[in-house]
Amino acid sequence: MKVTLRIRRFNPEHDARPYWAEYIIKDVAPTDRVLDLLHHVKWYIDGTLALRRSCAHGICGSDAMRINNLNQLACKALVKDLVKGDHGTIQVEPILGLRVIKDLIVDMEPFFEHYRSVMPFFVNDNPPPDGEFLQTPEQRARFDDTTKCILCAACTTSCPSFWANGTYVGPAAIVQAHRFIFDSRDTAAQERLAVLSQEDGVWRCRTIFNCTTACPRDIEVTKAIAEVKNAINRGGVD
Amino acid sequence: MSGLFTTVREVFRYQGREGQVAWMGHRAAALGTVLFFMIHIIDTSFVYFWPEGYQHAIALYRSPLFAVGEMVLIPAVIYHAINGTRIWLMDWKPGLWKYQRQITLATFALTVLLCAPVMIIMGGHFIEGLGLFGGQ
Ligand code: SF4
Ligand code: FES
Repeated sequence: MKVTLRIRRFNPEHDARPYWAEYIIKDVAPTDRVLDLLHHVKWYIDGTLALRRSCAHGICGSDAMRINNLNQLACKALVKDLVKGDHGTIQVEPILGLRVIKDLIVDMEPFFEHYRSVMPFFVNDNPPPDGEFLQTPEQRARFDDTTKCILCAACTTSCPSFWANGTYVGPAAIVQAHRFIFDSRDTAAQERLAVLSQEDGVWRCRTIFNCTTACPRDIEVTKAIAEVKNAINRGGVD
Repeated sequence: MSGLFTTVREVFRYQGREGQVAWMGHRAAALGTVLFFMIHIIDTSFVYFWPEGYQHAIALYRSPLFAVGEMVLIPAVIYHAINGTRIWLMDWKPGLWKYQRQITLATFALTVLLCAPVMIIMGGHFIEGLGLFGGQ
């Protein structure tokens, strides 16, 4: 099959504003991924195309982009899910709400700043009882879903609330906070809840559900956010 | 951060689902209602400051344009109330997220259902007021 790949390109050193570039790619297999098409452009048509990717298998979280107006990982988006018939167009642009450095590469620093603000690490200064901290399967299940996050930013940059206001901590940081807030072994839940109850914390979430749809790890993002909202309202996790 | 203009443009481009549509409607309904109330508060203040202007404003309210405005206001208020309840429910019971699509569609349906009688009555008055079909 044949695919017209429309890519939103921008090189701040040369271009006054971003523009759409089109590349026609032949002999595309329906099971090819959008990342394969981007590689084809970069390797055989125009080497100046800039994009981030590393693992190419949905693990590292570096190639979130807006594909056909929906945030996805280029390495997980299959051509057959985007193009019906023998010829079609796929549109690729950078995720929104973060400054574009070049083409599909955005400045992730504000995103990671929000991530760091929620203390995304295990806190417990007590000596482990009997050699290690124990946890029941039920206690472990409480935060299992949010352990799957790969920090790709697909959720945060799908959120209209984040587009409008980049100071909003965003779904990804809340997911990361959730992972530790609901961990029975951790002792810093109150500190994280204090951060997230501030003006730019969870209350900027308008329950739009774009994040849940965008997450390539199928994390129940909006549910996790609601659980954190409830924990703040109740004054704790229990 | 992308700013207000980009955000408004992008909510029409990004392929969000029911939740995004519901949110856009929620915002539009709120802004519309606030605008209507602002106009109403200002013209009511005319009673005190500028009585002739008040009479003029009342006459304006009887014009077809404002009749249509009022017919938009009612669904806006009803939708904002029902959708607000939905958001509160989804936040209060996170487990409901699995049914969020159905609950959002139900919100739309309930809005239409509750608006229908009001629309029929107001629409009837509106058509009468226009003097079509031999009305006064
Ligand atoms: S919650 Fe999902 S979409 Fe958001 S950063 Fe983590 S993996 Fe990506
Ligand atoms: S390249 Fe690693 S997640 Fe796609």
